[in-house]
Amino acid sequence: MTTSAPRHHPVTPPEEPTIVSAPPRADCIADSAGGLTFDVDVWGRPAPSGDWTAALVLRRRVADADADSDEVRLPLSPNGDGRLRAVLPSTVALPEGRWDIHVACGEDDVRRLVPGLNDLRSLVDRTPSQSASPLAVRIPYATKHGNLSLRSWLRLPHAEAADIQVESAGITARGVLYRVQDPQAWLAGAVVEARCRRDAALVHTVPATAEGAEFAFTLPYGPLAEVWRGGLDVWDLWLRPAEGEPVRIARILDDIADKKPVFVYPARPVAAEYAPAQAGPYYTADNDLSVRVDEREPAAR
Amino acid sequence: MHLSFLIHNAYGIGGTIRTTFNLASALAERHDVEIVSVFRHRDEPILAPGGDVRLRHLVDLRKDTPGYEGDDPEQERPATVFPAAEGRYKQYSALTDRRIAAHLRSLDCDVVIGTRPGLNVHIAQQARRGPVRVGQEHLTLSTHSAPLKRTLRTVYPRLDAVTTVTEADAATYRKLMRLPGVRVEAVPNSVPAPAVAPADGTGKWVVAAGRLAPAKRYDLLIRAFEKVVAQRPDWRLRIYGAGAERAKLRAQIDKRGLYNHVFLMGPANPLDPEWVKGSVAAVTSSLESFGMTIVEAMRCGLPVVSTDCPHGPGEIIDSGVDGLLVPTGKVDAIADGLLRLINDDELRKRMGREALARSERFDPARIAGRYESLFADLVARGALRGSLHRTRGALLSNAFRTKDAGRSALRRGRAA
Repeated sequence: MTTSAPRHHPVTPPEEPTIVSAPPRADCIADSAGGLTFDVDVWGRPAPSGDWTAALVLRRRVADADADSDEVRLPLSPNGDGRLRAVLPSTVALPEGRWDIHVACGEDDVRRLVPGLNDLRSLVDRTPSQSASPLAVRIPYATKHGNLSLRSWLRLPHAEAADIQVESAGITARGVLYRVQDPQAWLAGAVVEARCRRDAALVHTVPATAEGAEFAFTLPYGPLAEVWRGGLDVWDLWLRPAEGEPVRIARILDDIADKKPVFVYPARPVAAEYAPAQAGPYYTADNDLSVRVDEREPAAR
Repeated sequence: MHLSFLIHNAYGIGGTIRTTFNLASALAERHDVEIVSVFRHRDEPILAPGGDVRLRHLVDLRKDTPGYEGDDPEQERPATVFPAAEGRYKQYSALTDRRIAAHLRSLDCDVVIGTRPGLNVHIAQQARRGPVRVGQEHLTLSTHSAPLKRTLRTVYPRLDAVTTVTEADAATYRKLMRLPGVRVEAVPNSVPAPAVAPADGTGKWVVAAGRLAPAKRYDLLIRAFEKVVAQRPDWRLRIYGAGAERAKLRAQIDKRGLYNHVFLMGPANPLDPEWVKGSVAAVTSSLESFGMTIVEAMRCGLPVVSTDCPHGPGEIIDSGVDGLLVPTGKVDAIADGLLRLINDDELRKRMGREALARSERFDPARIAGRYESLFADLVARGALRGSLHRTRGALLSNAFRTKDAGRSALRRGRAA
């Protein structure tokens, strides 16, 4: 969406405003198909004309500062109530990650957006359609600095975690498989793998039961605690079909960009040879489901 | 009219700030309105006053700015005008005494409005002759300490009007205070129409929002919701807000195994997009001076199940029509109220529509209209009547002061 045309300068250059203007603000409405519509207030800027091209610029954050980040530009056009509108349909592929949202008014004027109203009600309890294309999930959120960003997931297939029952000996969790031709066939003989991050050789497997696209599994803490040697052990949970690639179990089908502080499960004391330990399920920073084994809190020993 | 609000700190976040901004921006459509904030601790207000409202401060507490005054020696000396019995006393000082006094002496307005007891005391004693003096009570008289009540009784006769947010509290003021010639009037807080479409009543979520403080009794809500889940495991509860009770509530959710059904969401601002994700709102407080969240939820089209606690809920909800009032502190009654709306889709949606329609009376334009006529009446009361009232108020003030001085002398005598 970048323009290579030379910029035409108006006859009378507009005077730079001397007061610091408020940062541009965007309201965002989500539709149930995973599409997002942004309405942007661009204060103190004229409506787009031939002079410059207004665009919503999404830049993916990358861990390596030297690496080029992905960039997606969406055209902004007047929405009829004095603001500019950009649409991000679910069909525009957005690689997984965190995307910072900017507004570009011409090539040199790119500014970070701050969130206005995020109307995400259609994402709550979202049930995506069953098809064979990747499942796209985008959840806008306010960063800790108060800017507007977007979390994106792109999964094919996707294993969505639902309720988790925490017992003293382990967890029993349910979930739903999306975006496979025949979920029942895919799930026949499927297992859940707990993979230890500390040592790739440590994998504990339990059977998964299935009914239609729904699956369930019980993961005891015992085998995870047995190999614990102090510190924090994280076990990532994967759903592995009898044949084919495994899928990370995650919870992404709602309006909550960061599950970790909201979907909280109690840790239970577990017997471990090494020292008193505790174990419990949690969602990672990417909303994937994991189990951690850690030292027991002093009060609970 | 030229209207001047005096507020503790307009740059923070809270019910008084929110409602003052709502009112000020609605009044600013037809009047000249300023908000004077005693303190300023950040460059931009968190909640922005809309429209043409002017905002300025008296004491700058922004560290790392040239104007920082937090280290002023006068800040170390205790306040003598701001009453010691006021909850915010520790933040006030000889410096605020002086700055507020200078501000009130130089007022160039028709009406000056105080937004908390300590500032109303300043206005009653220090506002120059001329402007009408209005003291707002955003909490309630009955929740103030005895020493603060005595202070208010002493100086409030010098005000022209006291406003409360409920009729119940206005009645308490009239009963417990001798305020001849002082208009005591209940004007509810205003809540603007949300910028999002109202809830459609189909989502299986109950929503609550407020500080996680003991008076909100979210512990009761969680216990009540355990009973809801037993009958309707397809419904879930979101509680928005931050506060000291969080760890306790977390432990309660874990202990009762409600972690798949009850969620502590953390603070949210704005709240409207969160309300509309639910179909029923819940308020389980033991005390609500007004009940802003009830009105906010209703303006989003949610029927509210609320405890019938003092003072606000009963004046906002018409039970059985646009929401339900249940006895305060009763887990079963709260659960029954929630289940009644959860189990009856038609009733829930009808009450949601009623809530939406009936909460329009809290629109800032309507509330500003009530203030406008109150202010206009008081201004029209005229200089003569005003000064007679002031003289009488001052005499009465002095009489109370003597009496209260005698009372504390007596108490000291007893204690000795």
